[in-house]
Amino acid sequence: LEDHLTGQRDYDLLVIGGGSGGLACAKEAAQLGRKVAVVDYVEPSPQGTRWGLGGTCVNVGCIPKKLMHQAALLGGLIQDAPHYGWEVAQPVPHDWRKMAEAVQNHVKSLNWGHRVQLQDRKVKYFNIKASFVDEHTVCGVAKGGKEILLSADHIIIATGGRPRYPTHIEGALEYGITSDDIFWLKESPGKTLVVGASYVALECAGFLTGIGLDTTVMIRSIPLRGFDQQMSSMVIEHMASHGTQFLRGCAPSRVRRLPDGHLQVTWEDCTTGKEDTGTFDTVLWAIGRVPDTRSLNLEKAGVDTSPDTQKILVDSREGTSVPHIYAIGDVVEGRPELTPTAIMAGRLLVQRLFGGSSDLMDYDNVPTTVFTPLEYGCVGLSEEEAVARHGQEHVEVYHAHYKPLEFTVAGRDASQCYVKMVCLREPPQLVLGLHFLGPNAGEVTQGFALGIKCGASYAQVMRTVGIHPTCSEEVVKLRISKRSGLDPTVTGC
Amino acid sequence: MALLTRALSARAGPSWRRAARASPGFQLPLLEPAAVTRALSRAMACRQEPQPQGPPPAAGAVASYDYLVIGGGSGGLASARRAAELGARAAVVESHKLGGTCVSTAVCSVRGRRFVSAFRSTACARSYGFPSCEGKFNWRVIKEKRDAYVSRLNTIYQNNLTKSHIEIIRGHAAFTSDPKPTIEVSGKKYTAPHILIATGGVPSIPHESQIPGASLGITSDGFFQLEELPSRSVIVGAGYIAVEIAGILSALGSKTSLMIRHDKVKEVKKTSSGLEVSMVTAVPGSLPVMTMIPDVDCLLWAIGRDPNSKGLSLDKLGIQTDDKGHIIVDEFQNTNVKGIYAVGDVCGKALLTPVAIAAGRKLAHRLFEHKEDSKLDYNNIPTVVFSHPPIGTVGLTEDEAIHKYGEENVKIYSTSFTPMYHAVTKRKTKCVMKMVCANKEEK
Repeated sequence: LEDHLTGQRDYDLLVIGGGSGGLACAKEAAQLGRKVAVVDYVEPSPQGTRWGLGGTCVNVGCIPKKLMHQAALLGGLIQDAPHYGWEVAQPVPHDWRKMAEAVQNHVKSLNWGHRVQLQDRKVKYFNIKASFVDEHTVCGVAKGGKEILLSADHIIIATGGRPRYPTHIEGALEYGITSDDIFWLKESPGKTLVVGASYVALECAGFLTGIGLDTTVMIRSIPLRGFDQQMSSMVIEHMASHGTQFLRGCAPSRVRRLPDGHLQVTWEDCTTGKEDTGTFDTVLWAIGRVPDTRSLNLEKAGVDTSPDTQKILVDSREGTSVPHIYAIGDVVEGRPELTPTAIMAGRLLVQRLFGGSSDLMDYDNVPTTVFTPLEYGCVGLSEEEAVARHGQEHVEVYHAHYKPLEFTVAGRDASQCYVKMVCLREPPQLVLGLHFLGPNAGEVTQGFALGIKCGASYAQVMRTVGIHPTCSEEVVKLRISKRSGLDPTVTGC
Repeated sequence: MALLTRALSARAGPSWRRAARASPGFQLPLLEPAAVTRALSRAMACRQEPQPQGPPPAAGAVASYDYLVIGGGSGGLASARRAAELGARAAVVESHKLGGTCVSTAVCSVRGRRFVSAFRSTACARSYGFPSCEGKFNWRVIKEKRDAYVSRLNTIYQNNLTKSHIEIIRGHAAFTSDPKPTIEVSGKKYTAPHILIATGGVPSIPHESQIPGASLGITSDGFFQLEELPSRSVIVGAGYIAVEIAGILSALGSKTSLMIRHDKVKEVKKTSSGLEVSMVTAVPGSLPVMTMIPDVDCLLWAIGRDPNSKGLSLDKLGIQTDDKGHIIVDEFQNTNVKGIYAVGDVCGKALLTPVAIAAGRKLAHRLFEHKEDSKLDYNNIPTVVFSHPPIGTVGLTEDEAIHKYGEENVKIYSTSFTPMYHAVTKRKTKCVMKMVCANKEEK
């Protein structure tokens, strides 16, 4: 309070939120010699789950997700192993507790690692729930009830988001869990109903199925809204033919707990209006995420948010309606909800603020991957976006159904292993988007994202020699266009 | 598609239907646009007139083609098929199985094996929650599957050639002394204005006179014939083939030694309990030491590959080779003799399937579509060594860059980390990356 009164602010930069974006900003600014503080606080989930420093990605997102996805993939590999000569007794059971413990321990080591990193770079860290007092000051209550006031010349809001609860559905809050909880369960979730069509829903349903759990996904309309829809349906097709059950065109209306402890879910078929019920051990809501802005008291600082989404409105320099207050990451309106974009935007912002740079974040052609059982990697425009932008006659789509070599000996179904490249039709046929469905999609897509960033044309991609034998080489071997109507199945080398 | 335009202009009307009817198993389509396009394309892929599948030419007669390809491997097949698509009457000469080294004795097989080794660490599976995952390995199972897969590929290649109406001439080709470039296969003669040599290579074995008992060892060709996992393996060589094979054997449970650089095998003897491999180890700065490895049941030479050019009678036409036998070609794959070309391993440059395929196709476009500047750019060809962990590389090495640009103008970015996959496993492997950049713009 005394510091506040002398007129000199405590910090050059205050970062609200210790997740992917926030920590990147803080460390970058400290590296430039600035006095930086980070405040991070995790409001426990309705089910009581809490976690340490690092944000969504580290604790309840990317990291535990990918590890559990890997556990599921290993289950598949164990099934393939006998074909390759391994004498492994089938079926091999999976122990949730063992996996969860290993995953949770890794996440905790990352929490610790972030704490140490902040310390090493002399970034002050407060575990408090901050809210604005005025446009340069936040206050928060630390452990023990002590109120702390922090002021800074510049403030970056990076509070991210949390899963949305369908509070209008009876029993949703009391009996359902979300991605905040699934990775921290000590016991197996058992027979699970996943409600939602987002990548979170599909990835969770995917690994739950892969470790042997009875899993159902309830989708009201379309899967993976915003993604290329042809690819999205193939993702679902693969999951459906590999053990995940789907309830399409249905919406839940009620969740009840039965005397034996199971959950009874009632839903309505949106087309017929018919009602149905099912019994599950766990109900996982994955119907979208909401920004963590409500408790920030943004009005006290004058920061504008979108009336529809409550996300913070920013310009191309990540600036909010208040000159010295910025926002990055999931909390921002109209930005991808991805760790690498938050990190890059955060670093570029800090370089502009304290490093004399004028480089802006480029949000075009951001690659991403959905880690469903058969992974989907993409960069650039979806086919429908390209057609909407340029018109059907000006778009050429090259595609191929391929079979990964590893699938042959194991006799795996490769029906949905597919790649397509969306290009402009006019020579040299600029590549607008690349979509890859298959194993290791993230590893495959990353390299091609650089190509698209450099403005690669179909002609250049075709002049690139493939690496053999890989799935990746199928991209540079694309020859059949959708327009030709020819069979796009790859045969032989 | 050039072929399409040619066909439509040269022959109006139902000629494509005639060709279509002549193609085996082809049905006249309903007049649905997509089906018509498909039928047209398929017909165009074949010649306009069905090739007579009659008996080989009588002795003395010389069969004439537009394009003769010697060698039915990656490069040869790709070039022949592309040439046929462009309207050329092509034939491929092959003395063994179609598909060549890539299919039968190398790449696809090695990759298949690699998968096996990757899974060998059942401890990994345990860490991810599969407690009862204990695995013993049965070599027979994978060998059978591999053999079956390779057989299927051989058949697929054969069918591809037949569908493209490319004649397959079985046997070994050699050039003759005829005035026009001509080859002879099993007593019959064939000629063409364009002849492609794509005979590939074979693994090298040291001469018995250099290393007594060398012939007791096998090569990568023999590796894929092994019926059992060897219990004690010695691999001689330091290239990617040696590293890949040693990696597979070791991961699957064979006690494996890799002899490189300072180890020189002197002699190999056969005993009742296996091979005895004697070698001299000469580490610089120390005295050379003689050692012997007993009870070796697999000695594998992976010391390089020789071009398959000796039996071709190249001297009959004066086709130039280097001192190792590699056929010398220019950037357009031309040899020193007009009308004779070479691609792939037999040229000794960038011994990779995708390179042979790309070069073979570029050549076909140059010869049969008159794209005069059609050639393969041999720069920045990516490749992978399927070691454990694998190495992926493209562009210049650090040494090559320093040599080309000067040390002051080269900047190296690098990183080393443990992949998250190993966050929960006992076994840990590092991932290392290096980006070599040059000059101010850090290309």
